[in-house]
Amino acid sequence: MKIKATLLGSTIGLAMLLSGMACGPSGDKSGSADALKPGNTKVGDSKAVAATAPQAPTGTSLKGDLEVQAFQGGYGIDFYQTAGKELQVKNPSLKMKVEGNPRIWEQLRPRLVGGTPPDLMLPGWGMDHWALVAEGQVLALDDAINSPAYDGKTPWKDTFEPSMLALGQQDGHQYVLPFYFSMMGWWFDPNVFAKNGWTVPKTYDDLLTLGEKIKAKGMAPITFQGKYPYYMIDGMLLPWLVSIGGPDALKAAQNLEPGAWKSAAMVQSAKMIDDLNKKGFFEKGAVALSHTESQQEFLQGKAAMIPCGTWLYSEMKNVMPPTAKMEYMRPPVVKDGKGDALTVQIGIEPWMVPKDAKNPDGAVAFYKYMTSLPKAKQFVEAKGTLTAIKGSSETKLPESLVVPAKMFKESKAIWAVQYRQWYPAFDKEIQNALTSMLNGELTPEAFCDRVEVAAEKTRKDDSIPKHKVAG
Amino acid sequence: MKKRAARTVFIVSFLAPAVLIYGLFVAYPVLQSLVLACYRWRGVSAQRKFVGLENFKKLAQDDVFWRAMSNNLWLLVAAAIVMTVLAVGLAHAMQTSGRVARVLRSVYLFPQVISLVVVAILWMFLYNPSFGLIAGLLKVVGLGAWARPWLGDPQWALPAVGIVFLWHGLGFFTMLYSAGLQSIPAEVTEAAGLDGAVGFQRFWRITWPLLWSVKRISAVYIVINVMNVFALVYLMTQGGPDRRTEVMLTYLYEQAFQNSQFGYATALAVANFALAMLLSLGLMFAFRRNPEDAK
Repeated sequence: MKIKATLLGSTIGLAMLLSGMACGPSGDKSGSADALKPGNTKVGDSKAVAATAPQAPTGTSLKGDLEVQAFQGGYGIDFYQTAGKELQVKNPSLKMKVEGNPRIWEQLRPRLVGGTPPDLMLPGWGMDHWALVAEGQVLALDDAINSPAYDGKTPWKDTFEPSMLALGQQDGHQYVLPFYFSMMGWWFDPNVFAKNGWTVPKTYDDLLTLGEKIKAKGMAPITFQGKYPYYMIDGMLLPWLVSIGGPDALKAAQNLEPGAWKSAAMVQSAKMIDDLNKKGFFEKGAVALSHTESQQEFLQGKAAMIPCGTWLYSEMKNVMPPTAKMEYMRPPVVKDGKGDALTVQIGIEPWMVPKDAKNPDGAVAFYKYMTSLPKAKQFVEAKGTLTAIKGSSETKLPESLVVPAKMFKESKAIWAVQYRQWYPAFDKEIQNALTSMLNGELTPEAFCDRVEVAAEKTRKDDSIPKHKVAG
Repeated sequence: MKKRAARTVFIVSFLAPAVLIYGLFVAYPVLQSLVLACYRWRGVSAQRKFVGLENFKKLAQDDVFWRAMSNNLWLLVAAAIVMTVLAVGLAHAMQTSGRVARVLRSVYLFPQVISLVVVAILWMFLYNPSFGLIAGLLKVVGLGAWARPWLGDPQWALPAVGIVFLWHGLGFFTMLYSAGLQSIPAEVTEAAGLDGAVGFQRFWRITWPLLWSVKRISAVYIVINVMNVFALVYLMTQGGPDRRTEVMLTYLYEQAFQNSQFGYATALAVANFALAMLLSLGLMFAFRRNPEDAK
């Protein structure tokens, strides 16, 4: 009896974990018997899915029940809720329900599996949305983007920044739509720079010179979010890759072309990080810091610069020391590189209409309203972030956004890290390898070799649906 | 005959609710996960593909899985030794009626009742390389050079997490041993005293063997606790730096919820379950007989 009792104990702990996951497959009662037969459904064949998409919503009618579920992050969901209320006033037969949650993907997952998703969703960073596309869970919105926008005149797709629209496409189909976007860059405190007579480094060589000056003042030139190495990947490794090798070097890497992750440009970029590390330019111990910890170090003046996106201000404003200021800067570029010095790295948060949405047409209509220019401008003002809607930055911008908006306008081309969403396991390996290099366990060459091995493994794994950078 | 039937009904009616709940919430999910482990399933739709033992084959070749398992085992061995020594020591210290014992008795369970999330955050502050208490203390005593970014250091990260695990779990095991010590009949210790057994000798010859049932329970509990380590690691290090603190359940989480490989993650869960079972059964076997009864 005692033995049984203890065994029971050991089972319960594990079973609790397992039962959390077991909720999924129990949802597949409804007509999915075919899908269960091996080989019947070709998982990952998104073309087949797009071709058989049942509805092609264009957003012509706003009536009936319409449910929107959105990730409740730093920008909240009140804006979407207000938009819903406004539409409901204009369309009395419409019944809007706009809800959100900071971990919305956890609630959406069982609903998607069970076939009862909302009509429109922003599933947030915890949802592997390209897996959703691969499984045919997301409606192609090709007809929608070719239909008129909320103003009834312009084709909807022409109201978006085309490069950002492209980030939501695959195999020529539009699956996800952008709304707000962030820009990745570096930040510095203009007061500290002015006080010390420092100028913002435009090139890597400038950075090397400036770094020594900063160190001489007893400050760390750069701190970083060591616990989450992707900040450094996006803030240094890839910008420098683009700067050295041009956009093609990045495209090859994201497309997992053989050798792309150990190209000369990639090795040089890794070496630049390694050099900064060896010169002691990084704050000591930053490798153990979380994003908020390192950002706090920056705000407290322990480091002069930090790589981070345009969300930094809204993330840290509540804990900012009154004397601290922050201003956005481009990551320093490499002189004589192939890349365009003015290019900008952006990231979007994808909105989508699930395949099983009950009211897809209403969902598109609602989203058209949200992406109309006046609404987009309101969003920029209220939330302090830029949107993918053309002309939406022509409004009163919050202080932290003035410089990014200017730089966005100056840029001729944008780029985005896409492989992270496509191949999360591969991305994790790059992050781990980078940490290992920062801890002195890998040379830049060994770092690139290790990443290349992971790229090859991903390329050869036919259970992973492959993606290509559009254009 | 009738009497027996009534007895059966009586027993069944009392057992049924427990068996039902256990079956529904424990046995059924466990069985279902065995099935799910044979599928390729992304966990975002009802589509899944039967792949037989593919997930287990992949698991066997997955270096990260083996590393995670060895980290679990490292924690297990370290925890089993250090936890037992400390818990027995503390339990002993609490048996006396001195001031120290009174203070100990009132505080030893504190860490146990703090939520794991709070524990993790608390220790992240202590370990912080810039303003952490540990780095600060080292500086004060002139050993500032010893300071490390504990949770980001390849050598120190796992021991650093292990210390937090110990700190959090120690109270519970101290309680177990304390109860064990109190259950040793006074006449036995007295008799041993009369026979001239004192101090360490008395502990080794009398107390330690008599703690048999507590040792058995605590060993199994340590296995369960270590195999279930998740929140601490996930919050403090995310398995980093470079997998140095990865444990089986953080890797499971990564595979399921970040990589959308639910089938593979379930295979991992099955492996974790099997290992925990195996270790528990092994320990039960090792402690199967009370050495005092055998004599």
